[in-house]
Amino acid sequence: MALCEAEKTFILHSVEENFRIDGRQRGDYRPMELETNIVAPSFGSARLRLANTDVLVSVKLEIDSPTLEQPKLGKIEFFVDCSANATPDFEGRGGDNLATEISNCLSSAYKSSTAFDAGKLCILKGSKCWKLYVDILLLECGGNLYDAVSLAVKAALWDTRIPLVKSVVVDGNKVDMEVSDELFDCERLDVTGAPIMVTVCKIGDQCIVDPTTAEEHCSGGSVVVAVSKSNFSTILQTGGGSLHPMTLLESLKLGQTVAQRLDSTLINTLKQINDNSTDVGFLK
Amino acid sequence: MPVDLKRINGPENTVSYKLYTPSKTFKEELKCLFKSNNKRQDGRNSLEHRKMFIKTGIVSQAKGSAYLELGNTKVIVSVFDPREIPNKTDYSQKGVLYCEFKYATFSCPQRRNFQQDSEEKQNSIILKQSLEPAVCLHEFPNFQVDIYALILENDGSSLSAAVTCACVALAHASVPMYDLVTAVTMGVVDNQILMDPTLKEQQLCEVFDETDTKSDHGIIVTSFMSTHQQISQFYQTGNINLENISKSISISTDASGDIKLLIEKCIVNHVLKGANKSNEE
Amino acid sequence: MAKQYKSLHPIKYFRDYLAHDIRPDGRELTKYRPVIINANSVSTAEGSAIAKVGKTTVICGIKAELCQPKTETPTQGFLIPNLELPPLCSSKFKPGPPSDQAQVATKVIADIIENSGCINLQDLCISTEKLAWCLYADLVCLDHDGSIIDACLLALFTALKTVSLPKVEYNAELDSKNLQMDERTPFKLYNVPVSTTFAILDETVLMIDPTAEEENLCTGVVTIVIKDDELCSVLKPGGSPITEEKLVDCIKQSMERAKLLGKLIDTATQETNDEIDK
Repeated sequence: MALCEAEKTFILHSVEENFRIDGRQRGDYRPMELETNIVAPSFGSARLRLANTDVLVSVKLEIDSPTLEQPKLGKIEFFVDCSANATPDFEGRGGDNLATEISNCLSSAYKSSTAFDAGKLCILKGSKCWKLYVDILLLECGGNLYDAVSLAVKAALWDTRIPLVKSVVVDGNKVDMEVSDELFDCERLDVTGAPIMVTVCKIGDQCIVDPTTAEEHCSGGSVVVAVSKSNFSTILQTGGGSLHPMTLLESLKLGQTVAQRLDSTLINTLKQINDNSTDVGFLK
Repeated sequence: MPVDLKRINGPENTVSYKLYTPSKTFKEELKCLFKSNNKRQDGRNSLEHRKMFIKTGIVSQAKGSAYLELGNTKVIVSVFDPREIPNKTDYSQKGVLYCEFKYATFSCPQRRNFQQDSEEKQNSIILKQSLEPAVCLHEFPNFQVDIYALILENDGSSLSAAVTCACVALAHASVPMYDLVTAVTMGVVDNQILMDPTLKEQQLCEVFDETDTKSDHGIIVTSFMSTHQQISQFYQTGNINLENISKSISISTDASGDIKLLIEKCIVNHVLKGANKSNEE
Repeated sequence: MAKQYKSLHPIKYFRDYLAHDIRPDGRELTKYRPVIINANSVSTAEGSAIAKVGKTTVICGIKAELCQPKTETPTQGFLIPNLELPPLCSSKFKPGPPSDQAQVATKVIADIIENSGCINLQDLCISTEKLAWCLYADLVCLDHDGSIIDACLLALFTALKTVSLPKVEYNAELDSKNLQMDERTPFKLYNVPVSTTFAILDETVLMIDPTAEEENLCTGVVTIVIKDDELCSVLKPGGSPITEEKLVDCIKQSMERAKLLGKLIDTATQETNDEIDK
């Protein structure tokens, strides 16, 4: 996207007036749509549409052995696929850098045991654990990828059902385990602490959240803030610019309040989805 | 894992012998963090930086290079002349920095792979973003400057050491810059802020035992341009509240200013040496 | 003026120097560059060393890991050498998989280790068929200014001399390993091969210990490896031919230099071993 100077000035003034080009205030989000459990073969899935940004997340489970250094922890791995459908910039290897950036940011945000308790994924200390593969597919880019991805990941993890392990038999070095045959005998993951990421963009002298692509182009620097409950789990500056320490602090404060608001809304919505789900089909 | 045909490969499964040595639990380690007189294991106060050594002109084949020692952490960075951006068809108004951050295979307690892993890739991106705001990119449009950072020994705070070292190497290569970037790592564990943590301290800050999840823990890397009072990169992981973060920001920006004085001295020395040489000729 | 002349006519510039029996860096044809060796430079490795030959710098770090021996050789451990020529050391190398030059040099070093009999792989075996040491000797070039093999061998063998391995108590029935960190046995080296590289120009001019620039302009290279006052191997990968007398002359010069280098390695490791004893 290319913008001329006049367009940039227009956006800058609109942010200054707290009346952005699409009519929002500085701390407002665009409308979102969230769907869960839409990829049938996966263990959990979610699709999030934030205005023009469209993200699909699916979670797969596998049995793995824990690392020798951390025998008590399960594993979680993030993979971001920037498909060329999303934006022409991703053609060839164009999206690779962004993909590593997003997936690394997610894994560092989920690393802390406060944000995500990987100990729950352990089946037998030192020999068996669950490994979660979180696949993130970017279907369309309309700005603000980090926020959309983190919301969708949290929703997908909320939706994830882990099969119950009935028994584990240890015979010497061999481990046998039995997984429940019943399809609906599953556990849900506890993801209330899972971090929500908010991108805070600095335009002119003001900070805004949920920038559109046009606004991203006018930004002098932005910070991605991952907030779990009330603490920060990851902060990363993105884009080319630099920030004054005071500005950074202000954006962190803004990010924190917005993330907490977003988090409670998301959890409320997810609970609603859950309540409304009625079992369909003659076998139940 | 695909077999690397271009190197000599060892046997398939090898494990570090250190796994079989007795290890302490997290709580015991935490107790060992401070000695009885409130000093850290190496005798520093909690907000004391380790001694730093910087030298320019280490690699004769590179345009600019620097070597930095921070306690036991050893970093070497070389910078090469601008070259045309490979595989690029359109014209770009600004130059590009290409950064590569690599741990030498023997630099950490665990042996590293030859290929870059995701941590090294992430650090490469952070290194690039830390330096980009300081370099006058418009001075070399359509060209790329290569920056390679190699960690010879990792004893904590290696990313911030690499950023500082890369900045000295850029200056040594006479790449035009607005300001000098200096970076500081802060560790937070058990609600204590530790400046410039060693590897042991860093590991304690990163992996927090699940039994006590109330207190803060994490790592903060701040890259700062002190003349312009601008933070060029801020990277945090773990679980830290706002209060500790704002405290860390002000502590690390102050420390960055002190490191900058040292760097300036090193660069001035280099320039004076060059001037003396050309006078003799 | 000299600078412009050098960049316009590099070969002519070089030959003008050689016509007066002197090299562009002021050395005589038979004079080698100063060598610096530092042992135990990296504390995270089990053994390490930095070798500088003139400006050429190579660092070697050795990591010891445990593994199962191969079924073909149940009583042998492993020593895996690898040379990295990262883009950091010279503008000739670009990021990506190892260049041809790195692969060739790695193979040369591995062959020298195997042929010289400097180590006995059986020393690295802990329990037959069950457990053995695997020593990863990773060499990284930090500054590439010619005679890379010479610097590599110096760094590698100095580092190997500083390796000492903890004692392992292994119980084959329970597959349990118990390590005694205090009881360390030094790794045994049976001999120390050192090499000297010569550059050949027009079949007549021989230059000892060439720089990268000289290697580029010359028509051939010979590397002579000496161990214990004996000829260990001669590497002459193509290029212009060399007469027998010249080769004998090379070997003589290498013999003399090998004595000095051997002593240098000894002093470098002696100092650090003394420190450990204290």
